[in-house]
Amino acid sequence: MKKILSIALVLMMVLGLSATAFAADSSPVADRTTFVMGIDPEYPPFSYLGDDGDYTGFDVEVCQAVCDLLGWKLEIFGVNWDEKLVQLDSMECDCVWSGMTILDTMKEAGYVISAPYYDNTQVLVVKEESGFKSSEDLAGKVVAVQLGTSGESLLNDDLADLAATFGNVITCDSFLKCFTELQGNAVDAVFVDLPVAASYAADHEGLLIIDEALGAEQYGIAFRAGDAELCEAVDAAVQELVENGTYAEIAAKEEYVDIVNNLIFLNGTGAEEEAAA
Amino acid sequence: MSLMTMIVKMSEGLGKTCAIFFLTLLFSLPLGMIVALLRMSKVKIVSAITRFIITVLRGTPLMLQLLAVTYGPYYLFGTNVARNKLIPVVIAFSINYAAYFAEIYRGGIESIPVGQYEAAEVLGYTKLQTFMRIILPQVIKRIMPSVTNEVVTLVKDTSMAFTVSYQEMFTIGKQIANSQTSFMPFLVAGAFYYIFNVIVDYLMGRIEKRLDYYS
Repeated sequence: MKKILSIALVLMMVLGLSATAFAADSSPVADRTTFVMGIDPEYPPFSYLGDDGDYTGFDVEVCQAVCDLLGWKLEIFGVNWDEKLVQLDSMECDCVWSGMTILDTMKEAGYVISAPYYDNTQVLVVKEESGFKSSEDLAGKVVAVQLGTSGESLLNDDLADLAATFGNVITCDSFLKCFTELQGNAVDAVFVDLPVAASYAADHEGLLIIDEALGAEQYGIAFRAGDAELCEAVDAAVQELVENGTYAEIAAKEEYVDIVNNLIFLNGTGAEEEAAA
Repeated sequence: MSLMTMIVKMSEGLGKTCAIFFLTLLFSLPLGMIVALLRMSKVKIVSAITRFIITVLRGTPLMLQLLAVTYGPYYLFGTNVARNKLIPVVIAFSINYAAYFAEIYRGGIESIPVGQYEAAEVLGYTKLQTFMRIILPQVIKRIMPSVTNEVVTLVKDTSMAFTVSYQEMFTIGKQIANSQTSFMPFLVAGAFYYIFNVIVDYLMGRIEKRLDYYS
């Protein structure tokens, strides 16, 4: 009996320890001291490991500014992108904020989503020497897409007809692998978000971006169901940054030249522009 | 997506999982024996080099070795990345498992008393005959439990092929989990691996019984 009791005690202690190891903070907004931002550490220019070894990127800088404004300590947690919502639910982070496409399925599943802040399209990246010029040229060819990205879900749903014309769609677990497959001639094209394509093509020669405005979508920040108050606080803080110019200041940095034109708070949405015209 | 469609979709990838499993065993079991013999070579330099290679293969994650075999040649020499991922995957798995099997074989061979070699020599057996007819049959008997261990691990390790975008069962499971925001595919994958391993366990048990000819 004593033995069982002691084993139970040890188990409880171990479980207790692991419970405190979770970084996220469920306390109400007013009492909050830390804010754990869940990012994809391989998603330049929104979130990535900078040259100095610290996480940086547009989203990270804005989040840092938000935390400064609200007096929170920012902690950054690199999520496994295809498990991001599970990790959010399991309190490993307080939000997923990393060039994340807002999907209807997320809202249906009850996640609280911030105001959209970025207009995105999906593009096809091919090698210049391959001579492909449009998605039609890729009929019967092999296309790579990153697992867990909106590109992948688009090819399964809205763009299933396009996907059917491809010879094969393979999924890689990081966009770097997708591009390595392309460079190594294992696939003929990569289907990826425009900013990622632009930043990769800027660093590597001989790539061509085919932009046919496929799958227009918007980026937002995901919070757990029930964290509506937290979402409102972050949304309000971002608006304050927009008004006091900090937001534009961050966006004006050289690293973000590829994305600045699609930032909704600075340019309005594509839809609004069309309505105005 | 219903559970049934999920299972059907994932079992499509099961063929590829099986391909990795059987091809890896086919190549690594004999390769392991060669490595084991090199490792026990009386030529110091040969055994030292083999020993070093084994430490590298056992001391680094299989996932890294998969990446190195698949993408290494492209980064080092600019050669094309294989379109059929089964080839690099099987190469990486076979080399890695050969290192483990080699150590299991070595343990088995070294457990045979020296007296048996001496007795065989007295009876006029050549070295090859001694090894093939006297030593090896006993070694196989002794190492079966350890080999079963590795084979069971191999079934589960096949899931690692997803790191090089090989579309085996687990990769497909992950894709479904994503598109359906559901955890169900992982349960299905777990069940698949478990059933696979129950069968492996049964077969290996049968083989072990067969080899147990003295009791």
